[in-house]
Amino acid sequence: MRIRAIAANTYREAIRDKVLYLLLIFGIISIVSSRILGYMSIGDELKIIADISLASISIFGALIAVFVGTNLVYKEIDKRTIYTIISRPIDRYEFILGKYLGLITLLAVTTLVMGIISALYIVMMGGSLGVIYFEAVLLIYWKLLLVTAFSVLLSSLTSPVLGAIIVLSAYVFGHGTGILIDIPVDMQGTYMESLLAAIYFVLPNLSNFDIWKEYANGIEISHTYVVWNMVYGALYTALLLYLATLVFENKDV
Amino acid sequence: MSEIAIETKSLCKRYRSHLGMGLPPTLDGLSLRVHEHEVFGFLGKNGAGKTTTIKILCGLVWQNQGEASIFGYSNRDKRARSLVGYLPENPYFYEYLTPRETLDFYGKLNGDTVAARNKRWDYLSELLDLSDIANQRVRGFSKGMRQRLGFAVAMAGDPRLLILDEPMSGLDPMGRHMVRDLMLRLREEKKTVFFSSHILGDVEQVCDRVGMLVNGKLHREGALQDLLTRETLRVDVVTRDVPEDTIAELSTSAQRVYDADEGVCLSFSSHDDADAAARKIYAGSGRVVSLTPIAETLEDYFVRQQEDGEGAS
Repeated sequence: MRIRAIAANTYREAIRDKVLYLLLIFGIISIVSSRILGYMSIGDELKIIADISLASISIFGALIAVFVGTNLVYKEIDKRTIYTIISRPIDRYEFILGKYLGLITLLAVTTLVMGIISALYIVMMGGSLGVIYFEAVLLIYWKLLLVTAFSVLLSSLTSPVLGAIIVLSAYVFGHGTGILIDIPVDMQGTYMESLLAAIYFVLPNLSNFDIWKEYANGIEISHTYVVWNMVYGALYTALLLYLATLVFENKDV
Repeated sequence: MSEIAIETKSLCKRYRSHLGMGLPPTLDGLSLRVHEHEVFGFLGKNGAGKTTTIKILCGLVWQNQGEASIFGYSNRDKRARSLVGYLPENPYFYEYLTPRETLDFYGKLNGDTVAARNKRWDYLSELLDLSDIANQRVRGFSKGMRQRLGFAVAMAGDPRLLILDEPMSGLDPMGRHMVRDLMLRLREEKKTVFFSSHILGDVEQVCDRVGMLVNGKLHREGALQDLLTRETLRVDVVTRDVPEDTIAELSTSAQRVYDADEGVCLSFSSHDDADAAARKIYAGSGRVVSLTPIAETLEDYFVRQQEDGEGAS
């Protein structure tokens, strides 16, 4: 009940955040304006619309996760609302989980809203959806679970501005981890190769969650691939949440 | 023998600066005991470590060394917090919630059932006069309204122990009166109250015992009647229509002579000196408006102990 109470309150608070609406509106504008870029690509209009629509859900969802997420714990400490909460008979991990669940519930709503608008738009433009469309949206949401967990971790460690910079940098880097193993020939067999490979395996590869390109290009994706990516994302998310509770457990507020 | 509500043993707390450097200790071996059913006033000047002690007891801040317990449970154990109601200095709540929703939220955190939460709301809204503002958002509440809500939140789980950080700070006379009455009521209800305050007159009225914190250590503790000597510090004689040469003569034995609203005030260190002065004034056909023995107040005691404590450390 305690985690649910904190989650419900977090949802209620986050839904009042003006940044959320700003990003949601930009996300929807981006989906709708995908047709403009579609015009420019002769013959590939539908592909571009599908590509940009799903990319918009991913990017604007991530921005909501980062900007609201990095404020979650910090704001409670800064505004001192945390004093009367942590002094109740709750464990600190319950607080972190409650905050996290509140935000991912909100993200489920925003992803659903953008996903439905995008789906309607694609169908209106003459495209088809198929199961892969819903799998693509589901994996985008799964990626947001991971980004939110990292944002919550940073929120218990540092200020929202620094937290947002770190999470956004990690987000960009997480989409390009492929370069760590795509090394020049003269580096092969060196310690550097082993080091980069180790970093590659430790850091989450966020591009694994992006199957919208396959959807846009009509490429088949197996359901097993989707499920394994969900397991992969869940493990990283659990690890980040564990670290967040560990940090918060010993924090003076 | 009553149970021990709060116990700290050699409690030490040293904060770190943003650069990770150690700052001077805020608490430096604080050992303290508060018994059940006591109203305990925790005194000390700004920066003495009162709020840090309270935060450690409420599980907001962790000590570097030493132990802190509530009814025998460590401050790290949430069972300790289930027995405590905490009112921070200048309490902050979610601005978009109403008092009713706020109390319901904290009731859920306590693990109370819907029926228990509703019952508690009925009792606290009546006690703290919250019914009229039950459905107004906290945003826009005055300091007094927030404090009333803060008390309601602290008392939400019907705790055995209330820990109040500067509960009278920033309140107008009506607000202070409300807090004082509430604390007296809590004392009648045999609740244990531990509170810090700067308003020593109010402390004097409601406390069974006080503890005085100086430089992170407990400098003195005990019942007020034991701590305050109640000895006469001086005797003030206010006079009128006394010739100047008589005043000049008396001023040699007076500690201090100054103009008061009612006349000239002469302060003497003893009753004998004051009586002798009064006789001399009457003999010279002057008038004695008042003769008042001045005993030590908690404020005098506080200042004296602060000076002693700082001198010793």
